Amino acid sequence: MRTKASMHTEVIPTMTSQDEMLNRIGHVTRALHDSLRGLGLDKMLEQVAQEIPDARDRLNYVARMTEQAAERVLNATDEATPLQTDLATGAASLKTRWETTLTNPSLKSEYNLLANETIEFLTLTEKNTAATKALLMDIMMAQDFQDLTGQVIKKITSLAQDLEKQLVQVLVDFSPVANKKEDDSLLNGPQIDPNSKIDVVSNQEQVDDLLDSLGF
Amino acid sequence: MANPNMKFLVVDDFSTMRRIVRNLLKELGYSNVDEAEDGAIALSKLKAGGFDFVVSDWNMPNMDGLTMLQNIRSDPSIASLPVLMVTAEAKKENIIAAASAGANGYIVKPFTAATLDEKLAKIFEKLEKAGA
Repeated sequence: MRTKASMHTEVIPTMTSQDEMLNRIGHVTRALHDSLRGLGLDKMLEQVAQEIPDARDRLNYVARMTEQAAERVLNATDEATPLQTDLATGAASLKTRWETTLTNPSLKSEYNLLANETIEFLTLTEKNTAATKALLMDIMMAQDFQDLTGQVIKKITSLAQDLEKQLVQVLVDFSPVANKKEDDSLLNGPQIDPNSKIDVVSNQEQVDDLLDSLGF
Repeated sequence: MANPNMKFLVVDDFSTMRRIVRNLLKELGYSNVDEAEDGAIALSKLKAGGFDFVVSDWNMPNMDGLTMLQNIRSDPSIASLPVLMVTAEAKKENIIAAASAGANGYIVKPFTAATLDEKLAKIFEKLEKAGA
């Protein structure tokens, strides 16, 4: 209300008309407060304000999971690429040596046949390793979604945060008590932050320990 | 291809994108690459010297890519460094702002290896002409 009033400083009212204005704003606020309560909207606002942090945590979870997946793929392509390079280099070198050896006419034809088959195989190896490297590059490039979706999620998260702050302020201004109720249903989905809750397990070991303690 | 030993600085707040750009540069023959996660860290690394090329994101915490670019251009010791922007900011006003701040190139995410190759080649070509 104060900021609203200060925005109109170019219109300087007399003391009495300012008092009158504040008085009327007070009445309007009171009326809004009463009608919100009457409509049960205060409860709805309370619920929304409670649900936003949850939505934010879920978005953070999505961001974390996609980042982990992207990291795993990049680690794998980083490891696989030099393996393919080694295979291609080895195949090319062996092929050259066989080709040189075969130019010696004193060797048997049986031997020549085997050598030619080996060269053929090495040629295929070179071709396939090159193709695999190209595919690995493709896989690596496909991970750029993580940067883009991550940026979108960050924006929505901060939007939700602002909205939540404003809603909480509305609640603080309009309702005396806000009781937070824990969700006690059995459908809580994947736990996005198991370490922050005492009633949630964070790994299989804890699951087994719990079952153990219950005599299973 | 320009000097394969030239040193690149890849600036992006997402580690995934830093790794992708680093791998692409390696594939193009440039394996001398360092990374920074925002404009402020990048700027202090650049001021310490030794870099020949900057590939930078725009939207980053602490200092964004445009501010970093403006800082680079206003510091005589690093003002002539080529800077290629690789960013998801795709509005015309963004591209204009980057160009008027002195960016050497602008790539919009998502991008392909071929695009990076082409833009780098273009920048090197222009630099060579300017130098000749």
